[in-house]
Amino acid sequence: MSDLKLRVKEMIIERLKLEGLTPDQIEDQAPLFGEGLGLDSIDALELVLGIEQVFGVKIEDEAAGMRAFKSVQALTDFIAEHAKA
Amino acid sequence: MDILAHLPHRAPLLLVDRLLEREPGLRVVAEKLVTADEPYLLDHPAGGAQVPGPLLLEMLAQAGGFLEAETLHGASIFLAGVRDARFHAPAVPGDRLRLEVAAEGAFAGLMRLQCAATCEGRDLCTATLLVKRL
Repeated sequence: MSDLKLRVKEMIIERLKLEGLTPDQIEDQAPLFGEGLGLDSIDALELVLGIEQVFGVKIEDEAAGMRAFKSVQALTDFIAEHAKA
Repeated sequence: MDILAHLPHRAPLLLVDRLLEREPGLRVVAEKLVTADEPYLLDHPAGGAQVPGPLLLEMLAQAGGFLEAETLHGASIFLAGVRDARFHAPAVPGDRLRLEVAAEGAFAGLMRLQCAATCEGRDLCTATLLVKRL
């Protein structure tokens, strides 16, 4: 697992208080919302704030969110693409 | 600021009396004077007249309604979630409550607010609230 992907999974677990879940139990391609992790709109806001605080990347609107929140892999790619060097 | 024109709430559940400071989208400080004749003060399980904790959270959420630049009249703002609410001291009749609300971030119509209620420097309640406009 890439270092960034591991940090993304750790941030998800910590921010959403998914106690009992470990990073390797979250599948890279599983959807974050609905099926998969089953997150809701309140979780989405928590993640948006977490991503900004931990990685310095802003998710500006719902369109960007739709793209970033498809899966852990998509979110990792989004952060890698937008993080300041 | 005309409070009645901005919030849809009405007595006895209009829980903001006055706006002290307001930066739309960022920060609001409002005031609520707790008076002895308010119906929710009755029958508090802890004994004695005091504001129930959930209504302190409602006061803070209503103050948060003034973060919106336009009037909320005709729309509704809902308290969607409460995180880490802590109650430090009771609010009692005669207290002039200072309700401080700061927007921490927003996404898809939901907003997260950092809130604190104090009275003459006394900490009464701190909470993180999630509100949604529909």
